[in-house]
Amino acid sequence: MAGFTLSELLVTMSLSSIVLAAAVTCGITLQKSFNATDNYLATHIQQVRIIDYLNRDVKRGLVVTTSVDLQSVTMTLPSYLIQAGDTEALSNPSLVNTPRTPTISYTSSGWQVNYGTSNTGVVYSINGNSIVRVENGVVTTIAASTDQLVPSTTDVELANTEYSSTTVTFMPIFNLAGNTADRTGTTLYATAYLRNKRRG
Amino acid sequence: MQLLKTPARQANVLLCVLCTILVVSLIGGNVLLNCVTRYNTAASQVRSWKESLDAAEAGGDIAYAEIRKTILDPTNAFSPSGGWTYSGGVYTNSGVTFGRDNLSTSSKVDLFYYDSNGNPWYRIRTKGTSPVTGLRRITMDDRMGVGTRGDSLLRKIDFNYDHFVATYGPNGDNVGKTLLPVTTPQITRRVELVAAPITPFEAAIKDAGTFYGLGNAAQIDSYNSANGAYYFCANNPSDPHYADSRSGNVEIDSAVATIRGMLYGNLYTNGGTVVRSSQVTGAIDNNVPFTLPPFKMPTDLPLPQNSPTKANGNTTINPPAAGAPQSPTFYLFSSFNGNLTVNPYGSSMTYVAIHTTSDITGTIDVKPNVHLVIYFDGNINVKARDLTNESGIAANLQLYGISPTDPSVNQTIDISSPGNFAATIYAPSAAYTMNGNPDITGALVCKSFYGNGNTSWHYDRQLDHEGDAVDYRIVSYVEDTR
Repeated sequence: MAGFTLSELLVTMSLSSIVLAAAVTCGITLQKSFNATDNYLATHIQQVRIIDYLNRDVKRGLVVTTSVDLQSVTMTLPSYLIQAGDTEALSNPSLVNTPRTPTISYTSSGWQVNYGTSNTGVVYSINGNSIVRVENGVVTTIAASTDQLVPSTTDVELANTEYSSTTVTFMPIFNLAGNTADRTGTTLYATAYLRNKRRG
Repeated sequence: MQLLKTPARQANVLLCVLCTILVVSLIGGNVLLNCVTRYNTAASQVRSWKESLDAAEAGGDIAYAEIRKTILDPTNAFSPSGGWTYSGGVYTNSGVTFGRDNLSTSSKVDLFYYDSNGNPWYRIRTKGTSPVTGLRRITMDDRMGVGTRGDSLLRKIDFNYDHFVATYGPNGDNVGKTLLPVTTPQITRRVELVAAPITPFEAAIKDAGTFYGLGNAAQIDSYNSANGAYYFCANNPSDPHYADSRSGNVEIDSAVATIRGMLYGNLYTNGGTVVRSSQVTGAIDNNVPFTLPPFKMPTDLPLPQNSPTKANGNTTINPPAAGAPQSPTFYLFSSFNGNLTVNPYGSSMTYVAIHTTSDITGTIDVKPNVHLVIYFDGNINVKARDLTNESGIAANLQLYGISPTDPSVNQTIDISSPGNFAATIYAPSAAYTMNGNPDITGALVCKSFYGNGNTSWHYDRQLDHEGDAVDYRIVSYVEDTR
């Protein structure tokens, strides 16, 4: 029986090794690409979520203030829904989680629309690896910051209006040794105006 | 002898390579497809969430337009032909579908409050719905960790049933909860708006056209009649009423404005350039356009009294009742060239309204405890001393110029010296001219302004919520995030 010569075997094994190495490299690269792409898209969705949360609250906010480092936002919102423990709920528990009827008062700043006797406080901040929203002590994690998500909000008050500008950036997995440009390239911008700006 | 079949074995290597490439390509393609599908689904849900708010706000605009009609076009406000029905104190529209993405919106409007002037306040509850395309599933939840919801906590998607109706009832009041199937996945957002009446006198002077005045030694400041009589304190920060003394605002919807004198308040123009900015103590904003809609005779006044029907010679009104802001004792005059005196009903605060279809060239004496509103079709040509308001409270003598239906007719208000007066004038179609150096307490709205004297003008901050509504604005916005 004829067999393979040593040189044939060596050539075959070399070629096979090259093909196998290429296949493994392709697989690993694809896996990394998938991971990076999936991470980029998912983190981008998280950016959008942070912006959407913030803008929703800014629009209905009475007062919005940002911290000096621009990474914590404190808001005062109308207490639109009756909560357990509120005066109305104590007299009629079935009213819990139902809307209030607004009341009108005249103040030194003019007419004022009120929902209940007190307002609702909301704070957005970075807590460890997460970005959290705290409403009346209830903490909601709105984004996992393992992707180094960094929100930054600026509150601008003008003579007749007020708005908040927010940017959210993150560091993608594929980056050039943490180059700043890699982060700034992911910046998502948003601006929301306070529709209930309370003056005075 | 058996022959070797080497060609088949040689082909195996090539086959293996091709298979490997195929498998790797399939994996790569699947990876891309998976990413794109997930991203598209997430993007679609984000889009729907945003568009549903756009739809809800469009519904709010539709309802707001109807509310404005209650002032500007009352006969067509909330008309059934416009799709509105009325039941149980609530106006409801039949819903509108619009846009490339088939957004839909519907609104409910109810009158929930009357202010001290009898002006109604409206609440608008509107919802907007946007279909959700793509996969029937929530995406990216896993990004938030075990048991922690992400997108679905913010964006509540109705895949099979309307979650709001099922959980809170159709009106959100925990009544009538039911499983209401949806034909296609959708997102619905709800907002509640409050439309507040705009009262006529929010500034000392509001002028829709050209402005000239006042004299170089004139001044415009403010005070609050709730704190007592006027005295000048706009240059004394330690005065307890200093905060009320710098609201003598002037608003001009024109770039043609020659502004003289000292202005203790804000100055707004539409494209103007303020030269003597040092004489304006408040904000200067040259980008504040506004419109003054024509003023129409209110339609909700009671029937007029039998007499008097004109003010010729010496005419005295002794109202038969005190009345109220929303239901004053009403008189219809065919002429107004005599001396009119209006007395109170006993010691009660007495509300009187007069509609004169002629010019006003006579005198007016408003006794204390009388709140007089005069609607005039023609012009005013009087001396400042002819307008006697004995209480000194400007809100107690209010003059409203009904806009001529013929745009070629020029309505005019001429007030000459001598004398002073306390009154408010709302005449958005009238050219206002004032001569001399009167001391004025009140507010003015006009089409154009000319005043050449060293006038002292005191705006009463109580006027910012005084008078009949001339329009509406949205003052509150709340989203129901349930």
